[in-house]
Amino acid sequence: MSPAVKRTLVVASLIFVAAIFGGRGEAKISLEKCTICHGKSEFRKVLVDGKVRNLYVTQTSLMGSVHGKKGCVDCHFDVMEIPHRQRPKKVTCTHCHYKGNPEGAPQSDVYLEYFKSIHGQKIAQGNDKAPLCQDCHGSHDIKHTKVPGSKVSKENVAETCGACHMKIYANFASSIHGVKAAEGNLDAPSCPDCHGEHNIYQHLDPKSTVYATHVPVQCSKCHASVALMSKYGIDAEPAETYKESFHGVASKFGAKSVANCASCHGTHDIRPPEDPLSMVNPQNVPKTCGQCHPGANANFAAGKMHIDASKREAGIVYYVAAFFKYLTITTMLALIVHIFLDLYGRTRRFKEGK
Amino acid sequence: MRVFEFDEEREKERYVEIMPIFFRVQHLILMITVGVLFLSGFTVLFHQTRASELLVAMEGGVEVRGLLHRSAAVVLLFLVLYHLYYILFSREGREEFQKLKLKKKDIADFIGVLRFSLRLSDVYPELDRYSYKEKFQYWGVNTGLLIMILSGFILWFETASMQLFPKWVLDIVLIIHGYEGMIVFIILLFWHLYNVHCSPGNFPMNRVWITGKVDRELYSRDRRGYTGKK
Repeated sequence: MSPAVKRTLVVASLIFVAAIFGGRGEAKISLEKCTICHGKSEFRKVLVDGKVRNLYVTQTSLMGSVHGKKGCVDCHFDVMEIPHRQRPKKVTCTHCHYKGNPEGAPQSDVYLEYFKSIHGQKIAQGNDKAPLCQDCHGSHDIKHTKVPGSKVSKENVAETCGACHMKIYANFASSIHGVKAAEGNLDAPSCPDCHGEHNIYQHLDPKSTVYATHVPVQCSKCHASVALMSKYGIDAEPAETYKESFHGVASKFGAKSVANCASCHGTHDIRPPEDPLSMVNPQNVPKTCGQCHPGANANFAAGKMHIDASKREAGIVYYVAAFFKYLTITTMLALIVHIFLDLYGRTRRFKEGK
Repeated sequence: MRVFEFDEEREKERYVEIMPIFFRVQHLILMITVGVLFLSGFTVLFHQTRASELLVAMEGGVEVRGLLHRSAAVVLLFLVLYHLYYILFSREGREEFQKLKLKKKDIADFIGVLRFSLRLSDVYPELDRYSYKEKFQYWGVNTGLLIMILSGFILWFETASMQLFPKWVLDIVLIIHGYEGMIVFIILLFWHLYNVHCSPGNFPMNRVWITGKVDRELYSRDRRGYTGKK
């Protein structure tokens, strides 16, 4: 046996022994040791810019969160000795959160969407203001989306997004969707319902769920549902009639300049038409239409916008459409009958030489 | 066996030109513009079908489709204006137009042909150069064109229209524009294309729109009221 092979065998057997006798628990630093320092309520660090970083963590910090059974070093695995000399690195959630993980984290790869999203892209470009997982989900207090108190729950998620998107949050909070979502109404949409969760893109990116031509699809998710809309006394028809309108057809075929739902109803500041601040309040209609149709006057507000010509409620439009429908059918039938008559007549003339 | 001898004089005699080049060019422009208008228009009218998705891709997107539709409409409009000028201000045109006026005889002819086809009578009416068939098509398409041009302009300049009319007027105009286009298409398909392509004696195609000429004998059999001489 050559010395090199011998050395390899010795190292291999040592690793084997270490694997048997060195259980995982023993290699870990226990929670108690961390709280010697971090358990003091005044444990904090004053940063260079004067901000205070609170470093107070107790044994109960993780309790009630989805990571209740985890210890400090399960996430802060770069802490190898206590006290640690360097500031621990930012926690990498994908250490456990990937499909096929043995740690008991949900078996999902949905987080991968984040890396392609605008937030992930900005992080990759070195923008340290862009959010990481913990910026939206929280750090020690991560809860399931559906648990009240979660940073990404229906009633809280807008505020979480608003931490960075302040202006938009202010707009949204007073909109009908924002008001209802803040009440915890699960039917009302909050930011991720339209923009996506991990797959958030800028609205000018064709991959975005709120890209101009995708907007009608997003709104229709709720507004085309009669069951859902009738709960709130909202007409579900406009979602359908829009598709039949000139705006809708052009949007479907990929026209970006044409009006989609948000062009008229607003984006974050959507309000019921009765609200004087609503973009579709008759008083504001000329201004709203005027965005694309310069010179729009009060006449634009006259009459119903969303109509279905195939329904009697459409009034004169219905009757005109019905008249033309039957006129078309009659013309076609008459001409087809004429063809058969003419075929017979011409044959007769050729035969009889007339 | 009979040997076919080509006799130039007899050939000249055999055919009579009923559609001078000037009309054939107009017919060609009409055919192309109306074809483009149908294709680009039906793309929107039948937007929920797969075919229209294909068409819109062929037409280069929905914006180009609109441009195509309006360009063809403008060419067609000039053709219509020229035609109006022709029938109003040229001597030939005025005379030709007189023959296209609807008369009581046209209704009688139409009923006569129907009766003949139904074996209710044995007499085939004597038809003129412009029979009820040509007149039905001429006036049918004219009415259609007038409606299409008017409604088309209302829809083209939608902001100005919306300033003047309430929205339901535009809704109606959009419906009329769609259905009227459909009706013109149906007339062309089941009337015109049948008459010039599929009817006995004309299959597979009456070449008058290319050569301008028809067989004098065959033609006079069809139009006993027309001698081919002015």
